[in-house]
Amino acid sequence: MLEVRRKRLGKLLVILFISAVGISLILFSLNSKLDLFYTPSEILSGKINSSSRIKLGGMVKENSIKRLGTSTSFLVTDFQAEVFVKFEGVTPDLFKEGSGVVVLGYFKDQKFSAEEIFAKHDENYMPPELEIGSQSE
Amino acid sequence: MIGEIAHFFSLSAALLLIIILLLNTIFFFSNPNSNQLILSIRLFNQSCWLIFVSFGLYIYLAITDDFSISYIASHSNSQLPIFYKIASIWSAHEGSMFLWIVFLALWSLLFINGLDKNNPLKKLTLIMLILVILGFLLFLLITSNPFSRILPFGVMDGADINPILQDPALAIHPPILYLGYVGFVISFSYVMAYLCKGNFKIEWEEDIRAWSFVAWIFLTVGITLGSWWAYYELGWGGYWFWDPVENVALLPWLAATAFMHSLYASSKSNILKTWTLFLGIMIFSLSLFGAFIVRSGIIDSVHSFANDPQRGLYLLGFSGLMTLLSLVIFAYRIPAINSSKPVITGSKESFLSMNNILMVTSIFSIFLGVTYPLILESFSGEKVSIGPPYYNTIFAPLILIASILIMISVDSLWQRKMLARKFFRSIIPTFIFVTSIIYIFWYLIKEFSLLTYIGIFSGLIILVAYFIKIISSLKAKEYINKGSAFAHIGLGILFLSISVNSLLSYQKNINLSVGESLRINESIESFKFSNLNVRTASNHDVISANVFVLMDGVSVNLNPEKRKYSTRGQITSETAIHATPFKDIYLNIGDQLEDGSWTFSLKINYFVKWIWLSSALMVLGMVLAMQKRKI
Repeated sequence: MLEVRRKRLGKLLVILFISAVGISLILFSLNSKLDLFYTPSEILSGKINSSSRIKLGGMVKENSIKRLGTSTSFLVTDFQAEVFVKFEGVTPDLFKEGSGVVVLGYFKDQKFSAEEIFAKHDENYMPPELEIGSQSE
Repeated sequence: MIGEIAHFFSLSAALLLIIILLLNTIFFFSNPNSNQLILSIRLFNQSCWLIFVSFGLYIYLAITDDFSISYIASHSNSQLPIFYKIASIWSAHEGSMFLWIVFLALWSLLFINGLDKNNPLKKLTLIMLILVILGFLLFLLITSNPFSRILPFGVMDGADINPILQDPALAIHPPILYLGYVGFVISFSYVMAYLCKGNFKIEWEEDIRAWSFVAWIFLTVGITLGSWWAYYELGWGGYWFWDPVENVALLPWLAATAFMHSLYASSKSNILKTWTLFLGIMIFSLSLFGAFIVRSGIIDSVHSFANDPQRGLYLLGFSGLMTLLSLVIFAYRIPAINSSKPVITGSKESFLSMNNILMVTSIFSIFLGVTYPLILESFSGEKVSIGPPYYNTIFAPLILIASILIMISVDSLWQRKMLARKFFRSIIPTFIFVTSIIYIFWYLIKEFSLLTYIGIFSGLIILVAYFIKIISSLKAKEYINKGSAFAHIGLGILFLSISVNSLLSYQKNINLSVGESLRINESIESFKFSNLNVRTASNHDVISANVFVLMDGVSVNLNPEKRKYSTRGQITSETAIHATPFKDIYLNIGDQLEDGSWTFSLKINYFVKWIWLSSALMVLGMVLAMQKRKI
């Protein structure tokens, strides 16, 4: 009986050890692959590591989109601070001035170089003018 | 009026289900009688039919543009083709839940009436099914009523369906996906009935095998359609984004796939019994978790079309309670279930067990990836997101191990050790052959990425192993499990094509005026923007660019479009794709600059067709496996 138990304990320890290693590997990978989310104020005030990929969210400032060739630059604002963003490529359809946007990339030398732009699309999407109109009814 | 009738039918269906539950509570204390079960089933059938008729009337309302119903008013439009008027029902929350319930009722109705009348689990299964349907029906009627009217007057015209959802693939994708999700209610209820009954001599596997196969096929086709739609409609050139909504569809799929393997082992050689039961519970629990994540909107997602945080609470409560209860019953019963037969190393069962471990590991990793941002935010307030790099690093080793196991298991036998002779005859040559192919591949393209090379290696060893197996069994006229062979070859092609796609695909951003042309690289000799057309379609205006791409000596005409939808004023892009067997030319038109020129994004995507093919092969494999079992 004791022999059986000892064997069982051994098996249990091996299983526990393997799963512990597995889980810590997963968690380690999780921590190194996270994209932290910031607002423009947070980016400008805090110490952002220029080598880590981050997400920046806010509104695209009115009259700030400038296109030159295939590159686009604009300001992302949270109405307290503004961050200059540069992007190379075609912007999504819902990306426009005065709308919300999330960009993914690196913040370096006070400039944000975006690799990807996410503009939210939603079933309840309505152009801003229409939305104001429907509220006043 | 018709709206009210439909509403009334749904309410009566719910009431009828409650009555059946009450009756069964009374029956519990009276003498058991076969008429009780017959009565319950009759009432249940009527309740299901009430749901179907109610949904039928709702479709009629959508077709006839009844914009006094607020849901139809905000998601349909009189200008839409009939097809999209119907599809608009499942373009948002209320209608999706309604459809979900209709499918629940459909599966349950078919299953319960198909069961033998002396089946000892019939009554408990019925009660389980009723509990699930009732939970969703009450959720629909209480928190998200699709029948509510705009009072006192309706609107003149509807607000239209989101333009990017006006697409045939997307119109049929939700119903098929829901059929898959919901189909596992059968295995869930049956497993729960088996556990509650407590008579573990009953053979239950055979009764739900075919049902689980069909649900698995729907789930796979549904996920593939969604991926295909994202590829050609969203214009990002990708087919899978590791987005939370995609992940929660993958969770039940992985659990279901593990379940099919485990069910096979448990019915063939009486092992993995508890595992199979556990997985049967997990598939449906993960489906419920998926419904919660998608419908509550607590996670930001590109697919979040319809969400409302308040509804989340009910769904979380319901799915949490269901999962908890079933796991408690499961935990209470395991000690009594006797399945402890020693598993022989190298036998088929041992590989199926390892498959289960890998599947559960990947489920756990994805689950963690989906929930970690939520956990971190509630504890530290930090907002984070988890993207493809996490999933790629997690999956690369899992895929490698899985593929090596699949390769070795090709020659394994039930309850027998593997023959060392076979091992050396096929496995070592496979390794050498695949490694040399990869070396040649690397030599030719001179690009290296560890993760994609792991993927290519994994895909190739599966393919080569099955190739050898098929050749040798054809020669010796041996038996070969065709279903398994097709499905695993599909998996091998999937790993291979995904990896080659991510290694070779590239993107070029182009800025051109009308009439100009450009040389891109050695392969794409010319990119000519010849003219721009403007036209008007039924409910949108179109700007269409006429582009000629000369690639590898072949001239291809592409017409990417920008559409402006009149009702919502929303702008969408239509990607132009020229698909060949090995690569797709994928072109999007961007914005017009101040000097009148336009931007384009040109992507060359490799092996995309093979990804769809792999999914088709897996489905074909399942169909073959299903037929074979029926004999």
